[in-house]
Parts: sequence; C-alpha cells; structure tokens
Amino acid sequence: MEKVKVMVVDDSKVSCMILEDIISRTNFEICAFAANTTEAIEKYREMRPTVVTMDMNLPDHDGIECSRRIHAMDPDAKIVMISAMRDASLMAKGQEAGISAFLQKPINENELIDTLMLLCQNKVGTIVVLRESYAKPFSRAFQQGLFSLSGVHSEAELTQEEGRYLEVNGIAVILGITGKPRGRAILYMDASTMQKFSRVVLGRKSDAEVSKKEIGEAVEEAANIIVGHGVSTINDIFQDREMRVTPPGTLYGENIRIANPKLISFKISAATRLGTIYMNIGFAGGE
Amino acid sequence: MDVKLVNPFIDAFITVLPQMGFQEPKRTNMYVKQNIVVGLGVTVIVGFTKEIRGNIAYNMTENTAKYIASTMMMGMPVDSFDEMAQSAISEISNMLTANAATNLSAMGHEVDISTPSLSMGEHCQIKLGNDSYLVVEMDIGGHAMEINIAVSHQ
Repeated sequence: MEKVKVMVVDDSKVSCMILEDIISRTNFEICAFAANTTEAIEKYREMRPTVVTMDMNLPDHDGIECSRRIHAMDPDAKIVMISAMRDASLMAKGQEAGISAFLQKPINENELIDTLMLLCQNKVGTIVVLRESYAKPFSRAFQQGLFSLSGVHSEAELTQEEGRYLEVNGIAVILGITGKPRGRAILYMDASTMQKFSRVVLGRKSDAEVSKKEIGEAVEEAANIIVGHGVSTINDIFQDREMRVTPPGTLYGENIRIANPKLISFKISAATRLGTIYMNIGFAGGE
Repeated sequence: MDVKLVNPFIDAFITVLPQMGFQEPKRTNMYVKQNIVVGLGVTVIVGFTKEIRGNIAYNMTENTAKYIASTMMMGMPVDSFDEMAQSAISEISNMLTANAATNLSAMGHEVDISTPSLSMGEHCQIKLGNDSYLVVEMDIGGHAMEINIAVSHQ
C-alpha cells in the first residue's frame, strides 16, 4: 500500500530522530525534514506532503507563523503542532493559523499516530484507521489485561479477520460496543484453556475446584476489563466518540460459529502458557 | 427485568415486519426463565447501553431463519443458510432492535445499541446476564421466533 507522506518541521536533530523512529513503523513515511520556515515552504511546495508536524520554536519565524504561510499556500494543509507548551492562547492562535491538532512534548507514540491517522482518514483508508486507532488499543489492553489478571505473558498478534466465521469450541464472551464506530468484541478460547485460565485467575490449585459458573464469571470479568480499558483509551484520545460497552453475552458449547457479516474485524491471538486466547474486535465500517 | 420494557420490542416486530413483506406477527407466549438460553440454531445477540443496559437475543431454528431471509429477499428460495441469508438475518435484527430503541427513547429512556452478533450452533448455551430474563414467543407466518430480553433500567 502507498505510504502517506509526512513532512517534519523541526530544527532539533533529536526531535527529528524520535519522530522518524515512530513514523517509520507505521503506514506513514517522512518525505522531508525542514529546519526553518523558508525550508518548510520550499519543501512543502516540492513534496506536497499529506500532513505536517510543526515544532513551535524555529530559528527564523515561530511554528505558528510558518503554519500560517503553509496554510496560505494550501488551505487544505493538515498541520499538527508539537510543542512543550500547550495552553489556550497558543491553541487559539494556532487554530487561526490553520493548525488542526496540538500535541505536547514529550511525544506519546500512540497519541501521535492516532492524530495523524485521524487527520488523514480519507487518505489512509477506513481499514487502516480502524486497525491503527481502534483495534490496536484493544490489542494493548488485551495483553495488559491478561497479565494483570493471570500473571501470564503473551505474544499478541493482530491481523485482519479474513474468515467468514469465528469457530468456537469452549467459551465466547460477546461485548457490544456502542458509539462511533459501533461494533463488538469477542473474547474466546477453547475448553481446556478456559479451565486453566479461570483456575489461575481465581487462584485455585486444581481445575476440579472451579465450577462452570465460576469459569463463565472469570472469563466475563476478563472481557469486561480488557474491553473497558480499550474503549477508555479511545475515548481519551477522541473526545467525541462516546464509546460504551454493553454487558456480556456468553456462549458455551461445541461447534459454535459466529458470523461477521458487514463488520470490518480484527483477530488478536495471544499465545500464553495456558493456551491461546483470542479476541475478535469488529466495527461497522463507514460510520 | 421490568415487564414495561417488553412492549417496545413487541411493537418493533409489529411495525417493522409488515414493512418487509411479512404477515403481521403474533405474540404466542411470554414467560420468565432463569439464566441460560438454549440456542435453537441461529441466535442473534444485540447489546444495549446508556439508561437501559443488557442484551437481547433473537433465537430461532435454521428453518425459521431461512424463511425470514427468503421473505426479505422477495421470496427468493434460500436452500442453505449462506452468507447472504446470514446478512439478511443480521440486518432484520438490527432493524428490529433499532426500532425498539426508538420506542424506548419515546418512553424517555436514552439507549444506544451495538451491532448484532449472529451465532450458529444447536444446543449451545447462551447467558445474557446474571438475572432471569423474559422470553416472548412470536409467530411469523407460521414460524416461531423467541425474543429473549435481558435488559434493565439503570
């Protein structure tokens, strides 16, 4: 897939290196670095980046002045201001100069990527936005949640779900997601993994000590915690999403298939010493 | 489980289904059950948040699901419960639940609904919440569908 072009305007070599390190691991690529306003304008005209990151302190003019000039050339320019200060008067001046978003130093990697994604939504495409901005927070919450509940480390792998069904032999906890976008998350695992997982979560010595009811409750609680954290992370970044989680609906049994019509969904697999635990997170696209 | 919350769901059936070319559905039975729903073959779960929280499940045999999908597709024969038929059942569940949500809002309850999750499998067990839930049996052109309602007012 074609990468999305970013221009970095910053006179500090260290800042440039940090940004390059973060951006190089994504679907974005840096097409130009500029160390001052003159260079920024010259390179903007030449490279036509999709998005610009702007430092506040530049040797010739400040970042707001530089943004104003870029914006005058291209009213559609998307500019993210990155500065140590983030106060109301700076933001008001910045918005008037055409700056779309403000981030504070030191840069939080997730926040930067989420902001770039949001600004370039049309360019990047719905699937990438859903994966990077929505599915990834769940993947992180999944690993952290598994660790805090059961003390197990896991390698989580996030892929787009290609299959038509999730095949469940064991347990699947479904949590609906309301807000923007709507969707649902499913935490599922096989019968032997659910037995071991709930024994560890409940701190019992043998599998025989865990009743079926307790197994359900342990897995439901894990799902509540993981999905709740994922949703909170998204709500913190995007103030207008109003995402909420429904109470769990739980399926038990063999040969259950859960279909995915019309959802763009992602599968997160976490290999642990208790067995592989899966989460599927799906969103209604285009909302 | 508040019985007053049931009518919006039944009204949704009576409003939405005739628009999709079904005969007017009838309520044939209603009772309270404890804890576990047994899947009849095709079960669609939709979640609620905000003032009304919980889940509802539309539970039916695969035959009923094929009948509903076929009626929605202008009577086109549906021999196997394939992807198009699954999509039709998800969509009608979404329409019914969205209509019920509008009815609940009209009663002054702010609600939001999730996307439907469609599961297939006979004899699977489904837990919709911690309390008892209400079962409403509907007759749609001679086919039975169960609405399992496990929502409560916060």
